[in-house]
Amino acid sequence: MDSELLTDTFVDLADTMVADFDIIDFLHMLTDRSVALLSAAAAGVVLADPRGELRVAAASSEAAGLIELFQIQNDEGPCLECFRSGHAVTAPDLAGPEQQWPRFADAATEAGFRTVEALPMRLRDQVIGALNLFRATPGPFEPEGLRVGQALADVATIGLLQERNLRHSETIAEQLQAALNSRVVIEQAKGKLAERSATDMDTAFRMLRDHARNTNRRLTDVARDFVDNPSTDFPSPPLRSPRGGRPGPASG
Amino acid sequence: MTARRPTVLWGMIAEHAAAAGRRVMIDDVCAVAVSSAQASGAWVVAASSRGPDFVMCVTDQVSEQLAELQQMLGEGPCHDALAAAAPVLAADLRDQESSRRWPAFAPEARRTGTTAIFAFPLVIGAIQAGVISLYRNSAGPLSSLQLRDCLLLADTATVLLLDSLDGGAAPTASGDGTRPSGQSPDLAVHRVEIDQATGMLSVQLRVTAGEAFARLRAYAYAEDRRLADVAGDIVARRLRLEPDAPDIGP
Repeated sequence: MDSELLTDTFVDLADTMVADFDIIDFLHMLTDRSVALLSAAAAGVVLADPRGELRVAAASSEAAGLIELFQIQNDEGPCLECFRSGHAVTAPDLAGPEQQWPRFADAATEAGFRTVEALPMRLRDQVIGALNLFRATPGPFEPEGLRVGQALADVATIGLLQERNLRHSETIAEQLQAALNSRVVIEQAKGKLAERSATDMDTAFRMLRDHARNTNRRLTDVARDFVDNPSTDFPSPPLRSPRGGRPGPASG
Repeated sequence: MTARRPTVLWGMIAEHAAAAGRRVMIDDVCAVAVSSAQASGAWVVAASSRGPDFVMCVTDQVSEQLAELQQMLGEGPCHDALAAAAPVLAADLRDQESSRRWPAFAPEARRTGTTAIFAFPLVIGAIQAGVISLYRNSAGPLSSLQLRDCLLLADTATVLLLDSLDGGAAPTASGDGTRPSGQSPDLAVHRVEIDQATGMLSVQLRVTAGEAFARLRAYAYAEDRRLADVAGDIVARRLRLEPDAPDIGP
């Protein structure tokens, strides 16, 4: 493990949490860093919706297969198992002969993954979600990597509970719903931007995120204004302008 | 088991409507919410750009008072639920937290005998349809099963309100509430493709996200297909919808 990268990751994550931050942006950063740090092919954070479903809050890439994998997990898979048991769950070779979760294993191998590790996001005795790490090669993650992975999962939990500067003593259920709805706002904005700019969802996401950073605003606020406001201008695709364009008059 | 809970709840809603001898309305969702959460009453307020401000239905007089109080005072759980796009679970209006949060509303609400209020936003991402709220005359939180039911019922109420944006042409707001196939309506809301497709459609059809969502549902209903499948086709750019010729005015 690259110890400098490890230090940088935790310093950056801690830095982000100091100011008024956006939880989905934060969780995206966390999945990206997990991939780099743990030599994973992909990573995702899944939250437990009190409706009784696991929902993706952030993923390191838009790969359709990845999202589908999380959806399958509402029926079977390591993530569901992790969520139910509260323990880390490994599937070290998804192409092996005997699979505990055959449907999940098929979809995972088709998407190019051979190994998956699900690490619980725990708050006291409650499991509120899981960090999932995918690898393209078979074989378990190293113990040291898993310790770091679990620390990242714990940071995700802290981030989730810290985000809404707690003006009120909100319950976990209230905060989870707010976070999940933020994710929906961002998906709607991605769809709108992808259609308008004739680009893909990954690019649309990066455009939104760059615009939020360039204008020093929260990702969810930028996304919400863009969805709400039919006349919002948006800086055009690939180049980031130094200032970014200002979106039209904010609508609230 | 949990996956089918929406269907069970829909059955209760449809039954309530049938007993009243009419099609499904938002009032039926309120009635089921009251019984499911063992509440004393419930009400739904539709949202405008100014916040929660049009009372759609109330189950009793106290609900009506609570809705009106919040409108008059401009504060309360409904306002906060919509602003935060998250439920507001005030399990005891007599506690410090409630008094601090709603200095004008909390004492007035207590005067009606209300001790707890649970407000659920009717939102899908940036789409804000309104708020459904329940009140109780006794303090204490919702159980996790009651919370689950309330969230699912809020989804149904959201869909009902948004379908009415499409001129009532969409599924659950019309007829006996079943799909052409005779199954209960597709109330799926929480799928990434549905969210992305909603955003894409708002551009294709030049409408608000709320209307785009209603059109998506109406299309899936007319084609007798799953909402998530139609949304998947739109996201994969295998399907485009064109703006309607005869537009229904505001």
